[in-house]
Amino acid sequence: MIQYIILFYLSSICLLGAQNIDSNILSIQKRMDTIETFMANVELKVDISFVNIPKKQARIEYVQNKDTKVFSEDFVLIPKNGLDVSLHQLFKNPFITVDRGTEIRQNKTYKVANIIPSSKKADFSIATVLIDINLNRIIEYEISTKKDGIYIVKMNYDESASILPSNIEVVFEIERIRIPLKYMGKDAHIDKKTYKSETPKTGTIFLNFKYTKITYNTF
Amino acid sequence: MKDLIFTEIFKLFKQGKTYYALAAIFIIEIIILFSAYSQGQSVLDLLLDNLQQSFHFEGNLLNGNLLSYLILNTLWFHLPLILIVIVSGTLTSEYKDRTLLSVMLQPVSKWKFILCKYIVAILFTLLIVFFLALTTFILSYTFFGSGDLIVYLDNLNFYESSDAFYRITWAFIIGAISMVFFSVVSLTLAIILEEATKTWIAGAFFLIVSNLLLKVNFGNYFLDNWLYFKLNDTWQYLFYFNIPWHQIYMNLALLILYILITMFIGVFIFNKKDISL
Repeated sequence: MIQYIILFYLSSICLLGAQNIDSNILSIQKRMDTIETFMANVELKVDISFVNIPKKQARIEYVQNKDTKVFSEDFVLIPKNGLDVSLHQLFKNPFITVDRGTEIRQNKTYKVANIIPSSKKADFSIATVLIDINLNRIIEYEISTKKDGIYIVKMNYDESASILPSNIEVVFEIERIRIPLKYMGKDAHIDKKTYKSETPKTGTIFLNFKYTKITYNTF
Repeated sequence: MKDLIFTEIFKLFKQGKTYYALAAIFIIEIIILFSAYSQGQSVLDLLLDNLQQSFHFEGNLLNGNLLSYLILNTLWFHLPLILIVIVSGTLTSEYKDRTLLSVMLQPVSKWKFILCKYIVAILFTLLIVFFLALTTFILSYTFFGSGDLIVYLDNLNFYESSDAFYRITWAFIIGAISMVFFSVVSLTLAIILEEATKTWIAGAFFLIVSNLLLKVNFGNYFLDNWLYFKLNDTWQYLFYFNIPWHQIYMNLALLILYILITMFIGVFIFNKKDISL
């Protein structure tokens, strides 16, 4: 009996170690890895209940395996997550995947899977991705970061063959300003309930990309 | 009347106090610029703490527009206090030196004389605010450059550089009307109290009470919207994301009405008053 138990235990370990990565995710990863560099002009629109900021323009430069650089003449709020249109953050560390079935959005069926990093270096603990298996791309992912909370990134594409999204919607958690630095005046009235609220609010940032240059690996 | 105005302008610019006022304003600006340079970034970090969790920031917020906005905030207390001292001094010094008696011995109408004092006080106030605005823009943009302005007013508001300049300029213009009211009140107090120290104390008291009552919610539409104290911050309306111009026009009309009423009271009291030795 003990022999059977040991045999079962060892075989379980072996099976876990050899866990397959979802073929669709591997295919998307391979497709994204073909992008070597890109440059784009981005329009950023921030929607946070307690922040008023006009639409901003910026220029971004992406080089594979490097941090995306953002340039702007104005002051811009750059989301810590969401500008990563190449999905580098998801795939840069070793990971395993878990199939979560399918989900219907706007009469279209998408595959749902979890990406779980197997390395401690990863800056997120789990991501849930919605995959368009026909067009071989991710249309939405929810990522639970270790430091910056949970983000939902929704991606829309111009054409069915596009690898990179034309616009992105990033939904994130954000706490209300707790220290109302006042310059005196009309804001003397403070809604105590709002300021004392511990409940995090959500904010959204909309990014519209106009790609000016995309280069691909030739391997 | 024109000659009386010119005489008053001459007297104003002949007295040393006028230049002390200009120097005081300039020194206040330098102090604000220096303190903003040394502590501004930490204040901004505190203000943007929540956003730093979700965003990286590209661009510099510690710039000429923020500095101009901070200097603009001298309209709350520093500038009206200086104006109260200088403007009331134009009459109390005449009481003290008895030059008023000499003037009144001339064929000069009392109401015309005091009305000219009011007119010159208003012109001087506008000149001082213009001086403040000009030096603010020159110093701020020279040392800190331009950039987006961040203002915490109900919400965290960001304004693009050109928009910020437009708002600050209009805030100075509208703030000037508030300053005119304080000047007119201080001259009226000088008419009533005659003595410099008493007038300064009464003027400072009026200023402090104005600022305190601004924050009091009376729970009455008339008191909360039409009382002078509630109009003192009209220039701040320029920093709401959507500028409530209608409210600003309304407040300015009321402020001008208050100015005219105060002037009328002052002229009436002075006209009835005996100038004695």
